Amino acid sequence: MDILLAEDDPELARQITDCLNAAGHLAAWHSDGAAACSAALTSHFDVIILDVNLPSVDGFQIVETLRAAGKHVPVLFLTARESVVDRVRGLKAGGDDYLTKPFAMEELLARLDALGRRAANASAQVSAPRKVGDWTLEPIQRRLRNADTSIELQPKEWTLLEVLMASSDRVLTKKYLLEKVWDIRFDPGTNVVDAMVCRLRRKIDRPGATSHIHTIRGKGYAFKNIP
Amino acid sequence: MLSRIFPERLSSTWRLGILELLLIVSIVALCILQASWVMRRNLNGIARAVVLDDLGEYAVFYDRHGLGEITQVFEAGRHEEDQAVRITAPDGRLIFERIPPAVEGYAWPTESPEPMSPLKSVLMTVQDAQKENSLLIGCRLLHDGNLLWFGRTDAHDADGISRIREKLWLVGLGSTLAMLLPLMWFTRHVVRPVHAMVKRVQALAEGRTDDRMVAPAAMPELQSFAVAYNNGLDRIASLTTELQDANDTLAHELRTPLARIRGNLENFLDHYDQASVQDAAARGIDEIDRAAELIQTILTVRAGEHKALKLHQEECDLPELLRELCDLYQAAAEERGLRLTLDAPEPRYAWVDRQRIAQAVANLMDNALAYTPRNGNVILALEMNGKNPRIIVRDIGPGLRPHEMERIWKRHSRGGAASASTPGMGLGLSLVRAIAHAHEGSAGCANREESGAEFWIELPEGDPLQAANDV
Repeated sequence: MDILLAEDDPELARQITDCLNAAGHLAAWHSDGAAACSAALTSHFDVIILDVNLPSVDGFQIVETLRAAGKHVPVLFLTARESVVDRVRGLKAGGDDYLTKPFAMEELLARLDALGRRAANASAQVSAPRKVGDWTLEPIQRRLRNADTSIELQPKEWTLLEVLMASSDRVLTKKYLLEKVWDIRFDPGTNVVDAMVCRLRRKIDRPGATSHIHTIRGKGYAFKNIP
Repeated sequence: MLSRIFPERLSSTWRLGILELLLIVSIVALCILQASWVMRRNLNGIARAVVLDDLGEYAVFYDRHGLGEITQVFEAGRHEEDQAVRITAPDGRLIFERIPPAVEGYAWPTESPEPMSPLKSVLMTVQDAQKENSLLIGCRLLHDGNLLWFGRTDAHDADGISRIREKLWLVGLGSTLAMLLPLMWFTRHVVRPVHAMVKRVQALAEGRTDDRMVAPAAMPELQSFAVAYNNGLDRIASLTTELQDANDTLAHELRTPLARIRGNLENFLDHYDQASVQDAAARGIDEIDRAAELIQTILTVRAGEHKALKLHQEECDLPELLRELCDLYQAAAEERGLRLTLDAPEPRYAWVDRQRIAQAVANLMDNALAYTPRNGNVILALEMNGKNPRIIVRDIGPGLRPHEMERIWKRHSRGGAASASTPGMGLGLSLVRAIAHAHEGSAGCANREESGAEFWIELPEGDPLQAANDV
């Protein structure tokens, strides 16, 4: 994907650019709000990453300008502003996603993938049947089925599996899973995510076999389909 | 000093009213006493002069024209109400007497109390236990040696004094009614504005800094006070805004470098296979995430304590929110061998910041799970305390010691049941209370009768969804 990055901290911008390039994206970086805004208006980008506090023009204003100009490119706010009020303001201004610093690079990539997918799926809605091992996911019934039997999943177990599978092979942080599965943007203390992942593993993994859900120390969880 | 004579709770209006009434009654009573005394003295003097005067006149008529003249003069004078005349011989024998019924019954003396001589008059007062009035009697020696007696009661004088006394009481009543005017002024321009001001100050104590004091009917001095108070509030409001801005700046300034460090640590984790490096990087990432969370918690607690927490309030079905939280902790509870139950049967809507309230309840749940022994019960309940919805987390943990009940809500303070193995910075409960306060609610705890403790968050009833709740 072609990605525009507006970030006034050079070191952080370097890290993000490296990470995006390593993931196969093409990143263009601007440290100034006005420059980023004019680049977004004149060139084509698949996704834009915007810091809120930028010199000359802030992130909220850039999105408002883009939307007013009829540009519907997905925008992800990458900001130090944590409060719900700021998040709501960003989304109301026309932003599509909101990630607060400090963040995990993998989480940024997962969110960018989701934004890219959303933009692509807006025109062509194709849903291929998803598989976990020899299980097939049945989205309507929210269960897994193979030739012999089926596993009923509780709503949150289903959502957790779906979120993990949507970013298959990508490491997802607990913070990201909490937000996407439980709509929670704070640390709930107790190891709720670990416990839920364990429960899900017991349901979907074959006894003794390698788990579909990998724990990556210091990073989070990644779904890897084991046929 | 005067204030000590009143009961403590008696309002100023009553105090002033009672004082004014006492003052008026005392002044009127004093006036009446003084006026009665002065008038009685004056009337006494007049009465003596009248008696002496009449005595002289009757003596002259008698000496010149005899008894018949006295009779005519007395009857012409129409003194039936209060005057009487009589003549006695030197031996005390009654020669003549004209005593009208109103003056009857007094014991007239039969002889002069002192030796008499021509032109000498003697005055004496005769009282009668049966009668209200006294009789002033004058005695004079006539030229033929008989004694002339002239008596006059003080009935007219007493009537006059009594009429004046009544009038003075009326004046007192009028003054008392007139006294209501300053009392009404005092109530309208002092007492009511002061009550309104007290309400505003109480609101400030509860953290509401938006309300300003308005006292249009107040006396000028109170209006000046209101202006000074409002200026103070404006100053507080601007300081609060500065504090919020400083918080935002601090959060921003710290979060960006944390993001840089985190990025570099991730780089280590991805590119170095050495276990010790990976371990250090993973721990570093954990620490950074915890530090970011801690910064946010401290800022939230501080902002909540000063009612400066920005809330994103929305309609929220509380049982639904609790059900989701129950779901969130269910797997973790099962892992610890705990039974987690939800007791929130009725839908109940509230106008709250969903994330913040969830965060507060999650803190209580986190504590309950940490302190409840294996095979124990944790109950998440929604109950009504009067009209206020109360979210309660009950556990069967060790409970709380009495001195901990308040202390644990303070920042960086942990209960006695906490140990090195129970994680936490002692910020959780202060965060819970800060969030409750930011919602104009409260948070508290108590030991349960059975065992363990219960912690609650109470939200105010006043929400725009009251109608929905009633349905």
